[in-house]
Amino acid sequence: MKQIALFSVLISLYIAVLFPFTAYMQNKPFAEKLGYVPQPEVLKLISADQKQLTAASLIMKVLFYFGTLVEKTEKKIFLPADYPGMSRTIHVAVKLDPYNTDAYYFAQAILVWDVRQIRIANDLLEYGMKYRDWDFYLPLFAGFNYAYFLKDFEKAAQYYKKAGDLTGDELYVNLAGRYMHESGQTDHAIAYLTAMEKSAKNEAIRKSFGIRLNALKETRRVEKARDEYLEGSGKLPASIDELLRKGYLKEQPVDPYGGKFYIDGKGQVRSTSKFAFGAGSSSR
Amino acid sequence: MLQVFSVTLRGVFRDRVFQGILIIAVVFLLIPSISSLSMRQVTELSITLSLSLISFILLLLAVFLGGTSLWKDIERRYTFSVMGLPVTRASYVLGKFAGISCFVLLTSVVLGMAATAVIRYSSGIYPAMRPIVWSNIYLALLFDALKYILLVAFAFLFSTISTSFFLPVFGAISVFLVGSATQQVYDFIHTQAGQALPWYIKKIAPALYYVLPNFEAFDFKVNAIYGIALSVPGVFYTTGYFLIYLFLVLAFTSSIFSRRELQ
Repeated sequence: MKQIALFSVLISLYIAVLFPFTAYMQNKPFAEKLGYVPQPEVLKLISADQKQLTAASLIMKVLFYFGTLVEKTEKKIFLPADYPGMSRTIHVAVKLDPYNTDAYYFAQAILVWDVRQIRIANDLLEYGMKYRDWDFYLPLFAGFNYAYFLKDFEKAAQYYKKAGDLTGDELYVNLAGRYMHESGQTDHAIAYLTAMEKSAKNEAIRKSFGIRLNALKETRRVEKARDEYLEGSGKLPASIDELLRKGYLKEQPVDPYGGKFYIDGKGQVRSTSKFAFGAGSSSR
Repeated sequence: MLQVFSVTLRGVFRDRVFQGILIIAVVFLLIPSISSLSMRQVTELSITLSLSLISFILLLLAVFLGGTSLWKDIERRYTFSVMGLPVTRASYVLGKFAGISCFVLLTSVVLGMAATAVIRYSSGIYPAMRPIVWSNIYLALLFDALKYILLVAFAFLFSTISTSFFLPVFGAISVFLVGSATQQVYDFIHTQAGQALPWYIKKIAPALYYVLPNFEAFDFKVNAIYGIALSVPGVFYTTGYFLIYLFLVLAFTSSIFSRRELQ
């Protein structure tokens, strides 16, 4: 009887602790969730014969963290993202397993689009190309980065050619010879992201591409209105409001990252969010 | 020796170790679901997880079965009774070692079959960019098993000089950790940063590298996971290294055990 009473008390106490404990774990701050990652040399020693597993688990950790950010953004909760933490973790992961393609794919998604660390991303891709010499995605990503972000068309052509050589796909070979700025950078990015979104298997990554696509489509809408305005009046519009007032834009553009669109001094359409998670939040 | 081998192997089965392994092997069922979380390498992740799980199970076997098998016989005074039979001490210890090693190999084969099923299923969900090279996977499994057989030999060596199971078990774990790190330490010593280390470390580290086992040589996981071509001389060198190192450790073990005072 005493034993039953003791077990009942213990189980009741356990249940009483379990719920607040679970809530605490769920709401644990993001930075704490991503945690500290030791130096790759140290991790290599600790991992013994499980380096590939350790690398895969680090990437999963980043992916889950990123997935939570995407979910929050969809619910209009804009949280600051620990991009340096994600980048650091990915870099450690590729030191442990330089063949892990998820690392490069994810780095392309966050370093390039969210934090515009194009050179760091390209260094990482070039590091990956030394190992994954059969993978056309890495030169494809690098080629896109050089063309779209760095405007280095010569380098872009080199990498597109490499992607073309690896796949035998004429598309990349054609891209190698094509100057993207002629067809319009935003259109090119939309085409690239649409293809990436279709091929994305992971739900969080697919959604993040979708969010970015919406942002770019909105940018393109404003760009078209700006161009029409320029054609009609011979000068650049001062603001988005002016485009709305004069009927060039029918609806207020919406930034899915929570920012506000504006036209800078050079006539470029930009957003206060810089199209990154949490960058446009006031809570930052 | 054959009788000791057979009794040891039957003893392991009688102790329901295999059933224990099968319980851990249930984790294999989760591998396809976990692998599907990968963005671009579902098949590769399923191979990584399968090989890692097998490696972990074999490590547990090598440490606990290798570390307690001989010690248990000495502790229960079975060894003393066996010594009354026409069996030399060397053939007794080698027979026991062969029994445990055979069980490690058998476990690798069974778990290898489970891994094959899991990888095949995962590759059906999201095919790999490159075709799966099954021979690399099986070779990686085989060398993993050989690595743990070498670890069993170390556990036996520690058992011959120990009066408790602490030294064999913790000794085997230490050898595993050190053996997995020796190549990295050796490589580091030869880098520019390593050259800045004190002279005595630069002298001791290579000496230890040659004495301690090099388990990294047995790691063919990258070749198995990403279908990268294996170096044929590398496979032969590792096999030769394994055989010579194993015979050396076993020679030490049987020599010490032959001199040990048993009660």
